[in-house]
Amino acid sequence: MIALSVAAALAVFLLYVSVAGGTPSIQPSQLQGRSGDVALVGTVTGQPNGDAHGAQGLRFRLRDVEGSTSIPVVYRGSVPDLFKPGREVRVEGRLRSGLFVAKRDSLRTKCPSKYTPAKKA
Amino acid sequence: MTTLALALGALLAVGCALYVALPFLREPAPADDRLGEPGPLERRALELAEERDRALAALKELEFDHRTGKISDDDYRELVGPLRRRVAEVLRSLELRAKSSEERVRAAG
Amino acid sequence: MPELGRAALILCLGLAVYALAAGAYAAATRRRRLARSAQNALLAAFGASAAAAAVLLAALLRNDFSFKYVAEHTSLELPTPYTISAFWSGQEGSLLLWLLILTGFGAAAVALGRRAGWDLLAWVVPVLGLVTTFFAFMLVVVSSPFDTQLAPADGAGLNPSLQNPYMMIHPPFLYLGYVGLTIPFAFAMGALLARRTDELWIVTTRRWTLFAWTALGIGQLLGAHWAYVEVGWGGYYAWDPVENAALMPWLAATAFLHSVMIQEKRGMLKVWNMLLVVLAFCLALFGTFLTRSGIVSSIHSFTQSPLGPWFLGFICLVTAGSLALVISRLPILRAKTRMESLVSREATFLYNNLLLVALCLTILWGVAFPILSEAVRGEQITVSAPYYNFFLRIFGLPLLLLMGIGPLVAWRRASLRSLGRSFAWPAGIAVAVGLVLLALGAGSSWVGLVAYTFSAFVLGSIGYEFVRGTRARRALAGDSWPAAFAELIARNRRRYGGYVVHAAIVLLAIGVVGSSAYDKVREQKLRPGQTMAIGDYRLTYRALVNRQGPNATEYRALVDVRRGGSSLGTISSGKNEYRAEQQQSNEVGIRSDHLTGEDLFVITDQINTDQSVVFKVLVKPLVNLIWLSGFIFLAGSLIALWPSAAEQRRLAARYRELRALARA
Repeated sequence: MIALSVAAALAVFLLYVSVAGGTPSIQPSQLQGRSGDVALVGTVTGQPNGDAHGAQGLRFRLRDVEGSTSIPVVYRGSVPDLFKPGREVRVEGRLRSGLFVAKRDSLRTKCPSKYTPAKKA
Repeated sequence: MTTLALALGALLAVGCALYVALPFLREPAPADDRLGEPGPLERRALELAEERDRALAALKELEFDHRTGKISDDDYRELVGPLRRRVAEVLRSLELRAKSSEERVRAAG
Repeated sequence: MPELGRAALILCLGLAVYALAAGAYAAATRRRRLARSAQNALLAAFGASAAAAAVLLAALLRNDFSFKYVAEHTSLELPTPYTISAFWSGQEGSLLLWLLILTGFGAAAVALGRRAGWDLLAWVVPVLGLVTTFFAFMLVVVSSPFDTQLAPADGAGLNPSLQNPYMMIHPPFLYLGYVGLTIPFAFAMGALLARRTDELWIVTTRRWTLFAWTALGIGQLLGAHWAYVEVGWGGYYAWDPVENAALMPWLAATAFLHSVMIQEKRGMLKVWNMLLVVLAFCLALFGTFLTRSGIVSSIHSFTQSPLGPWFLGFICLVTAGSLALVISRLPILRAKTRMESLVSREATFLYNNLLLVALCLTILWGVAFPILSEAVRGEQITVSAPYYNFFLRIFGLPLLLLMGIGPLVAWRRASLRSLGRSFAWPAGIAVAVGLVLLALGAGSSWVGLVAYTFSAFVLGSIGYEFVRGTRARRALAGDSWPAAFAELIARNRRRYGGYVVHAAIVLLAIGVVGSSAYDKVREQKLRPGQTMAIGDYRLTYRALVNRQGPNATEYRALVDVRRGGSSLGTISSGKNEYRAEQQQSNEVGIRSDHLTGEDLFVITDQINTDQSVVFKVLVKPLVNLIWLSGFIFLAGSLIALWPSAAEQRRLAARYRELRALARA
């Protein structure tokens, strides 16, 4: 009886995960040809310009953590404190004609120190 | 600084080594170096002791639940009989064991 | 002095290895003096690690930057409390704290076990020795806090967001919890190694488990509070892997605390309890591992941290070893008693266990999924809040209900008649509360409404238990109400302490539901003088001020708050710009309503050059119940932990008799 119940519970969530699906986390170099919603992980490069709360949004470039492929991103919403060039960030959204359009308020930064917990926006 | 560190370190190491060796230093030639452990007799006795405690606790809990009203009078009457019998059963087994071990000692000594 | 520290750690490692090897040999060949010597080694290991800890602490207080660790985590201007907490704010220091607490607890367990004369101890020592060996080894070989360098003029300082009292004490509490779980694990494994099937290991470690579980719970609340006030995104739990790392062992330990009661009362579930304690301990190790290797962000960054592979290896060793041990002892562990009824307290405890373990495994799956998907598919797929919240509801709501049902049901068997009578009052209260809340508009979130109704049921049933118990006590002894109440609790510490803890959990649930299901959010850009409305609050952005703090420039937007025509004061919210670290931090403004527990949470999202500010304002109803529940949780645990003279006598009698019987 015990085993059956636990197994049933496990089955429920395995089903959910595969059906609902999580979000793939990829880097700019892997973005080519993908059309769905993804989570883009990369390093902020160049000088960000614009206003995240303004009409045009914040524009910056994201580069592979260990590479040179970079892609332009446009973002609207809250910007985390740690955001600045050289920081590793994660942002959700999708690629539209060469520009990565981010989902509102989805920008997160990775904490620079190895041991301190990650910060959120 | 380093000599102080060395001295303290040596002191610490020697202290720990001595403490670890203490049982051997205290009894260089003991009569009996065996570590006691429960044999089958002891294990059975322990099992019975736990069963006794369990039965007694269950009885006590039944009384408490009845007093606080969680168990109705009918339910109480139904359950208390078997529990009391169980407690008596276990107590009797324990008594028998104690008596038989006494007899064994008397027979041996 | 670093040489002394390093030497002390090497000594600790040597003692741990001796405790493991000599202890195992002594237990297997039943040698008394060697076993005693191995016990002494564990006690001495505490001395050695204390010496190492003292060296590090002294270096921190001296601002000795020739220690790489001190230079990396403190600076000359860092206030003393944070210089002390820098001990555990970095990788190496936190491992040393783990070792210190581990050897300390191990020494205490040995010292106490020795006085009671348990023969079980002979096998517990090598298990503790094994865990101590691992951590000492990590500190000596892989990640030492005593690396030296040419001392720079000043240190790097502590990350400003960590300079917060909650962040200061959050890690030690968590470690007390993680390490605390090692003791029941060691005793469980010791019992298996000694081929014992009795409860000695449970009764000996019951308080250790309760203590560790409490510390872990409080530690998580502290972390959540830090996230709420310092990180300031308006929430307190983000289902981040490092947060889940502490939640999982806590859930497993919760299940364990309940299922051992079944073993004590009915002698059942011995195998299940062994598996649970192994799960709790392995999750504690896994949690420690998660927070210091980069494994969840990427399977590749995992190998960049030197600790990762070692930790993973140790966890695999412990898991495999303990499972093998449990399986090999299965024949002697199998119970002879069966559960009598599906409607009994045992049954509710079992359902509770299944739900808790299911929730725990769900979270584990969510944490491990990205790693597994990357290993299998080559790309990481992460799950986030929607996944976790879905399962929290599915498992959490029934758990909430069970907390109310359990106390009302008797052990062994409950007739539906007596059940119906017990349920009447609490169920009535719940339905009434539910209807009232529905009328007040709580129907906007059906999950929230159900959760509130269940909470009312649980509080009703707990209250009913206290009333019934006190009334019975009065009838028995004729005391006054307060005296009877106190006497009731004193005589049944575990039961009523447990009820208080349940009440705390319910308050936590109410706070969480209120602030998640019924919160309001509004984002608006305001120029000085403009007003925004949210709920029944009206906020007017008055002015922007700045001042030069000791290490940062502090920008604050002053916001006047009004509600229903009367003024509620001024909130200041803004950002700090840290000069040395060149980074910004959010400083949120919170106004807590002490009557309703509601928070008005004001985030200054963006300050523009023209003095206009983009505000993000949240209204979080009942959120302060969460922090209040922490105190009640602690009180309940203390009641349950409190030693009972009657219980000590009974246990001493049980084990003394047995020795007398055998000797005869």
